[in-house]
Amino acid sequence: MFETQTDVIERDDFCSLAPIGWLHHKMQDSFFLVVGTGSCQGFLQTALGVMVFAKPRFATAVLDEDDLGGADPLTGLRPLVAAIVAEHAPRAIFLASTCTPEILKMNVAGCAEPLEREFGVRVYPCRLDGFDPAYTQGEDHVLQAMILRAPATDEKNLVILGCLSPLEEAEIRLECAAMGLPEPGFLPAESALELPPLGPNTVLAPVHPYLYGAAALAARERGCAMHKSLFPYGPDGARAFYETLAAAFGKTVSYEARECEAWAALEPTTAALRGKSIAFCSDAMLELPLARTLRAAGALVPFLGTPNLYKKFHAAEVAALPGVEILERPDRFALFARLSESKPDLVVANLNVANPLEGMGFAVKWSTELTFQPIHGFSGASTLFGMFALALRRHEALAARRARDGAAAAPIDLDFFRLAGAAR
Amino acid sequence: MKLALWSYQAPAHVGVSKAAASFANVHCVVRAPKGDGYGTIMLAMFERLGVMPPLSFCAMSEATLAGAAANLPALLREIDAREHPELIVVTRSGTAAVLQEPLDGEVAMMAPGDVKAEILMAGTHPIRDTEISAFALTTREIVEHFAQDVARTERPSANIIGPSLLGFHDRANVESLRRALEAVGIEINAVLPLGATPDDLRTVGRAWVNVPTAYELAKPTLEFLRARFGTPAVEALPYGEAGTTRFLTELCGLCEIPASRIAAASRGAQLLWYSRTVDAHALSTKRAAVFGAPSAAAGLARVLREELDMELEFVGTYVRDYGDWLRARVADLTPNVLVTDDYRAVAAEIDRTRPDIVFGSQMERHSASAWGVPCAVVSPPSHILNFPLGYAPFVGYDGANHIGDLVNQTQVLGLEHHLIETFGPRGQGRFAEAAPEPDRDENAVLVAAGAVADGAPRWDAAAERLLGRVPFFVRKKARANVEKYARERSIAVIDEAVMLRAREHVGG
Repeated sequence: MFETQTDVIERDDFCSLAPIGWLHHKMQDSFFLVVGTGSCQGFLQTALGVMVFAKPRFATAVLDEDDLGGADPLTGLRPLVAAIVAEHAPRAIFLASTCTPEILKMNVAGCAEPLEREFGVRVYPCRLDGFDPAYTQGEDHVLQAMILRAPATDEKNLVILGCLSPLEEAEIRLECAAMGLPEPGFLPAESALELPPLGPNTVLAPVHPYLYGAAALAARERGCAMHKSLFPYGPDGARAFYETLAAAFGKTVSYEARECEAWAALEPTTAALRGKSIAFCSDAMLELPLARTLRAAGALVPFLGTPNLYKKFHAAEVAALPGVEILERPDRFALFARLSESKPDLVVANLNVANPLEGMGFAVKWSTELTFQPIHGFSGASTLFGMFALALRRHEALAARRARDGAAAAPIDLDFFRLAGAAR
Repeated sequence: MKLALWSYQAPAHVGVSKAAASFANVHCVVRAPKGDGYGTIMLAMFERLGVMPPLSFCAMSEATLAGAAANLPALLREIDAREHPELIVVTRSGTAAVLQEPLDGEVAMMAPGDVKAEILMAGTHPIRDTEISAFALTTREIVEHFAQDVARTERPSANIIGPSLLGFHDRANVESLRRALEAVGIEINAVLPLGATPDDLRTVGRAWVNVPTAYELAKPTLEFLRARFGTPAVEALPYGEAGTTRFLTELCGLCEIPASRIAAASRGAQLLWYSRTVDAHALSTKRAAVFGAPSAAAGLARVLREELDMELEFVGTYVRDYGDWLRARVADLTPNVLVTDDYRAVAAEIDRTRPDIVFGSQMERHSASAWGVPCAVVSPPSHILNFPLGYAPFVGYDGANHIGDLVNQTQVLGLEHHLIETFGPRGQGRFAEAAPEPDRDENAVLVAAGAVADGAPRWDAAAERLLGRVPFFVRKKARANVEKYARERSIAVIDEAVMLRAREHVGG
């Protein structure tokens, strides 16, 4: 009954401008210039507001009535880029087109080359819109722009695709060294100008499930070999990821013992997850690999929502989820109905719906932190499972104490205001 | 194009949805890309709503760019069936406005009775209007939509106009005004938009008087109610103790109530007495700057100058349309009125005047902190900190007490002031020197000496560098975890591999 598509879908993830948060933090010499409306600026302020207080390396070029009337965007952008170069001296500017320029068919991307020539700063054109992509796919679009500028090579090399923390990168570096693989290049690196060479002998390993576009572009434009395995979340994902990497370089390496050892070390955490049912609302596209490794840890996943499914790119993850119902781009209220039916022990959900779901009686794990915590690889597994175990433990402990005390934890009803205000 | 980093006001569609979603049994639909949907998050997070707010997005997609119709009627039918609202207000974001879709036509083509709810196409301009002007206009449109001719209530009554979801301390403001009005014998007819039902709006004309909590949010509604029902509006803003008394005096006059009742309402008001106590005497030496929404700025400026005897360096607002209004309101207090929507211009003025205390929004608090100037947050834009669990109003007598507390908490006064003047800041000489990351320094010494004092393992340079990349707020814990791991396994030297293994076992 829930497979029935309604005409109108209400979705709950953010705008794809959101990854500017982690990308500008990673690439310390970058600046993100968003060409859009006051609403884009409002979103950045709401989502990344705290960072404004630290001389932000992102800003919105808000379109005025001249721009909407068809003025040449280059004329409008020139003084803004001059001001940014003078104040921040970035080594690269990411020039982002958004929904409104796309509707106006404004050639923002076409401004990149003349601006780069004029100011001597690399300008990457990219598209970060709020139409169809999951919010994490903003990173996919940024990386596509960088791939087009990467140097060519015929060498057999390894490139790790996706924004990682230094801790996560260190694990991959050390594991590659231990396996005798070449030193991996990372895209993105800490400089927006540091681009790993890409060519037909490059093994390209995406580490996030939301980088299909960038991986496909590198395969299409540079002939890179796409690394096909589970994504490196959880000991099972990490094992598959490293073993497949070794195979791509003609080596047979077994991480079986390593995986067993990792699970043993995680036992105190995963014990809390065993037998618990965890359902995912559609959010960051991390749902497939997280559900897969949670199941490996002993949790039950009755169903998961995910915003965009790429059949080939996600094939290994989907194959590892037998019996799990996967709802692509589900409607919010269809998901709510599904949740009410299956009554999971924990719901993983975006901030849009997290508090309302708590109000409806569900135990919720807010999902957004999963995109910025270092949870990749063997070394990130403890953090990954710890977040879920903490959410479950906290909810259970508080619910038990409330039951003991006969206390409710009901949200303020909107009717509260009506009763507070009027003398009825 | 104009470079924008941070702004005091959100775009118009946010103002429309704040107003519409604040009414009961009214649903708001915004035609926009889903990326514009962050208003839902603000409602769900800031107001900690335990239900989905009555706000939906009719999402634009790639298909829209290719010419697909909005299919607004389908969404209206869904909302109608699920929520049964009496009214659905439809607006568009700036992006949707650019597309110039015939949304009105789609709605007009719907068969009569297709949805039970009435549909109102918001009259605001998605690009030219701002959050505040759109909020004010939408409130008026919805009130006007429902208002009916009714007889005046038998006993004196008032409408409170301006409070909303996501408003600035509005739950508490409503409660504080309710207490004051009830104490003088004035019933509250309706609070709007916050929680007002269509039935409340049908009888909105019964009230004897209208009370704005913020003039900029209420003005179009006040004008409509005056024109339609002849209802007068109170001019005085209920800020401060004397200010609230003036406000109630005016209100009692309009309601033909003896002003003698005000004494009962003001029982518990302490701001003027606090101002007489010796602890507060130093306030006469303090220079204040006030910047915020027009009504908050005007109200606060008068409290600070007239009730606490502080000097005013400048008073200002970011709502450009209300610059002249503010100038007129504070003309007897200060000639220095700053009207700008650029937060950097406000910061520059704080820097130039270096007041002893700033009363502003969260942005001024941030700006002022750069020069060590204390700031009390008294104005929207709202921040999660402006949704306290406890009772912290800004208007009425309770609001006056709260303002006194804010001043007290923000300024060093009284005996403490004198002690510090005499003896210098607490701990000077012991704590005054910078103490950067003691854990790191300590360890650097250990590493340099090559010594292991208490059997603690040594960190090699690469591991130390990697530890430096761990976010500072968890670094100390991470260091302890790794060292514990190494000690337990008799590992003498921590390298990157040990560190990652430790993380795997103990987290962090």
